[in-house]
Amino acid sequence: MPPSEVSTTSGSTETTLKSEILSTAEAESKSSTIGQQIGTDDETPLSVFLSPFKGARTQWVARQVIIMICLLFRLGVGLGPYSGFNDSPMHGDFEAQRHWMEITYHLPMKDWYWYDLQYWGLDYPPLTAYHSWVLGAIGSKVKPSWFELDTSRGCEDVNLKSYMRNTVLISELLIYIPAVSVFVRWTIKNQKLSPLHQSIASAAILLQPALMLVDHGHFQYNAVMLGLALISITNILNDKLVVGSVFFVLSLCFKQMALYYSIPIFAYLLGICLFPRLNLPRFISLAVSVLTTFALVLAPIVLSSGDGLKGAYRQVLQILIRIFPFARGLWEDKVANFWCTFNTFVKLKHLYSADTLQRFSLVATLVSVLPAFFMLLIYPRKKALIWGVSASAWGFFLFSFQVHEKSILLPLLPVTLQLAAEPGVNVQSYIYWINNVAVFSLWPLLKRDRLVLQYFAVSFLANWLMASFTKLPDALLGKLVITMSYAGIALLHVVEFLIEPPARYPDLWVICNTTLSFGCFTIFLFWNYIQLYKACRAKV
Amino acid sequence: MALKFRLLPALQYAVIASTCFKLLLYPAYKSTDFEVHRNWLAITHSKPLNEWYYEDTSEWTLDYPPFFAYFEWFLSQFAKYVDAGMLVVENLDYSSTATVYFQRTSVTLSELVLAYALQNYISLLPENNRQPAYAVAMSIYFSPGFLIIDNIHFQYNAMLFGVFVWSLVAMKQQRFLLGAIVFAVLLCFKHIFLYLAPAYFAYLLRVYCLEFGDFSRKSLISAIRWKNSLRLGSSVILVALIAFGPFIYLGQIPQLLKRLFPFSRGLCHAYWAPNIWALYSSTDRALFLLLRRLLNNPVYAEDSATLTRGLVGISSFNVLPDVQPRTTFLLTTFYQLIALIPMVINPTQDKFVSALTLCGYASFLFGWHVHEKAILLVIVPFSFLTLKDRRYLTPFYLLAVSGYVSLFPLIFTSPEAPIKYLYTFTWIFAFYNVFDDLAPVRTTRRVFLLDRIARVYLLGFIPLLLFVALYDKFTMFKGFEFLRLMLISTYCSLGIIGSFIGFSWLYLFT
Repeated sequence: MPPSEVSTTSGSTETTLKSEILSTAEAESKSSTIGQQIGTDDETPLSVFLSPFKGARTQWVARQVIIMICLLFRLGVGLGPYSGFNDSPMHGDFEAQRHWMEITYHLPMKDWYWYDLQYWGLDYPPLTAYHSWVLGAIGSKVKPSWFELDTSRGCEDVNLKSYMRNTVLISELLIYIPAVSVFVRWTIKNQKLSPLHQSIASAAILLQPALMLVDHGHFQYNAVMLGLALISITNILNDKLVVGSVFFVLSLCFKQMALYYSIPIFAYLLGICLFPRLNLPRFISLAVSVLTTFALVLAPIVLSSGDGLKGAYRQVLQILIRIFPFARGLWEDKVANFWCTFNTFVKLKHLYSADTLQRFSLVATLVSVLPAFFMLLIYPRKKALIWGVSASAWGFFLFSFQVHEKSILLPLLPVTLQLAAEPGVNVQSYIYWINNVAVFSLWPLLKRDRLVLQYFAVSFLANWLMASFTKLPDALLGKLVITMSYAGIALLHVVEFLIEPPARYPDLWVICNTTLSFGCFTIFLFWNYIQLYKACRAKV
Repeated sequence: MALKFRLLPALQYAVIASTCFKLLLYPAYKSTDFEVHRNWLAITHSKPLNEWYYEDTSEWTLDYPPFFAYFEWFLSQFAKYVDAGMLVVENLDYSSTATVYFQRTSVTLSELVLAYALQNYISLLPENNRQPAYAVAMSIYFSPGFLIIDNIHFQYNAMLFGVFVWSLVAMKQQRFLLGAIVFAVLLCFKHIFLYLAPAYFAYLLRVYCLEFGDFSRKSLISAIRWKNSLRLGSSVILVALIAFGPFIYLGQIPQLLKRLFPFSRGLCHAYWAPNIWALYSSTDRALFLLLRRLLNNPVYAEDSATLTRGLVGISSFNVLPDVQPRTTFLLTTFYQLIALIPMVINPTQDKFVSALTLCGYASFLFGWHVHEKAILLVIVPFSFLTLKDRRYLTPFYLLAVSGYVSLFPLIFTSPEAPIKYLYTFTWIFAFYNVFDDLAPVRTTRRVFLLDRIARVYLLGFIPLLLFVALYDKFTMFKGFEFLRLMLISTYCSLGIIGSFIGFSWLYLFT
């Protein structure tokens, strides 16, 4: 995207706002229209809302108000049911998170990864465990029975739900939301866009429906992992490499899914150590900071067994076994990735042993991810970094082992960040599109959680605010793909609403969903690689 | 009135955005008012008209005027296609998902009345000078009062205030007859708007029915514009006849009045509305505790059960003299008269809106058995004045913050608690800054001390709300459960009384 297309067009004559809107912005609107600042020709409802906020002080007010409104919508989603509500005996992710608070608070550290593994044994890395411990400790102060060892299992006290919902919100407010603000500020500085763009871009990122629905509806703490990864990326973009790598390790230690990002980030960091000339001190400082952070995070648990080296080894091994559950098979629920879709046509699990499938998946993932690795290694450019991160995350999501539908949030984050970094309808239209497809791919999960109302309300809001349905790329093929897939999504929703699936194929609609989503995701992966290639080849 | 069906973009966007949020509130807590309205749907749908005001299967009998009953009947025509179960009178506490969605949706849709009325208000101004009007309209549309009372607690206030704004706009356009008719319709929807009726009556009398153009004519009779008076009288009577006619025919008016004005209730509502009587009651409580401690007098040695009577509504006091309905009526009338006299002498638009506001204040502060929700009757008319003069801002903030915080106890469930706090805070934060930007630059000296006191008072809400939220953690207050609500209403009443004094001062002496 040549920057000239993005540059702000100033002068009162350029205003395309309708007269009514003009009056709300009054004389101040003389500067330039917001629509042009974000690289589109039309104003969106969001830009109209923000149009009165132009002065420096009111800019600040606007940013705070946007954050508060984003929080309000999250609280609104949180009024809905969570995964596994009223679903004995195993419940769902909500119970898993609550259970971890219970065991981390009550058990000595050495037992955390060993205790009654059949009932939601801890299977996230240590930082999640510490996070749970803090929340369990606070929660036990509020009401001990919520986190009583063993007896609190399946607790569905409405006040417990509020407490848990609030912890998700506060975790996100402390980590993810500031990370987005800082990232957006970097893009503004980098591209000389107006401060108003900052508000619009952060709203566009923060109102991403998928994250809101999974974290605040279904119930998880993805925003913490994503926020830590985003802090890492932002620091790397700001040339604070050591801080960046520390935060990346923290993100990995919160949820192993951050591995999806690890290859491009590693390639970029390695690249700037090697090119234009070898920078050994940089390399060593990065290596030391990564290893030290890992060591510090793991140390409390690893050393807790107190059995010398042997005990430490046992702990590390157990943690690894818990967080990388290869024994659980190629996939669990229906998910819009290659294996699950391919399985519809060829019954993979019958044809090959689990080991062979594992090897297949490793090779496929590497094939999809390695181009990004080499491109970033040779062209470690800031603009390319985010595209590389998303390419790798898509590769992992589509081809790796044990992928959950919720993991779609990982490729979605770097893609959504491009809303701030890459203005211009030719990029943004694809991003809105893939966001919508991603939310659609979560539909079976959200429907099971009875979050139907929330699904429609939040998706509609996000699309309407950015006027994303009116945005189509210039290329005919892109237009075709986007409109056709939207038609398919709409059709599937209608069909599912009207017609029961045939008794022989009770999962028919779900499979249609995952297949359609998989198709879109694959197309997007290719498009993403084109963007990465462009970013690598662009003149600096 | 030319009603434009297409909303102005900004208003249209506001409606869509707030509707998205309100959809998320569908699963939220709902008070007994939800069941009240469901019961009214059932009564109006399945009972003949002559039983509407007699039906008492549910304890939540129909106690709104006939237009609201007709409105419920209208809604029930759609309800039967959604879930006929809600239309059975005997189905007490019936709340299937379809019923909840239907009733909540009826509230959300009825808010369009408010949006259109605000559009008319904005359209009064020339297009290049609409920014203050937009700000005021948005502050009303997004009012936390409506969100808490309508979209969570469950009522139809936004629609009724839409009708009120419509009438106000007609009055501003000098279309007095229309304004009067619309207000009469409003009264037949919900009679609480009687609080504001004196201002309407006096203003219409002064500008529409009387003519003082020529002061040489001494007799009052000659000042009467007979044609106008006749028009006004007949059209208001016609409205009343449409509403109450069937019940006059059935001879049920005494029963209707008994339902509409249940005077057997106490001075204060279960939760004290933040008015003079809240202050009076809490003074009484404080004196009672003090005297019991000091005197050890058997008269004052009653058990603490009497202390908690505040929770069920009280009309008698322990130390201070009891308050009679007559007293509250006289006080209300007195303060309303004070508000009306300057308006009658110099009947301008702004004076009319000020008088409306003051009538609301007087009824709220001194009335008998006032509900905390009635504070909207003060906040909404006041909103139209805030941007006239910078000096109105302080009383407005005092009123809005105290008024909205006093609504918090309506929502006492934990999932909705963060929403009520955050929504109200966002509203205050956004409109504090917007109004501050838009209010005209002051020409006269401001009274800095009062502004400072107001600011300190407003900051006091932070510790107050923290204390109230963590009330259960303070074991030393066990057995003093009434204290939690008493603290809120007493503290809020100080703010509302302060804003009343500030506003009256500006109205009477400038």
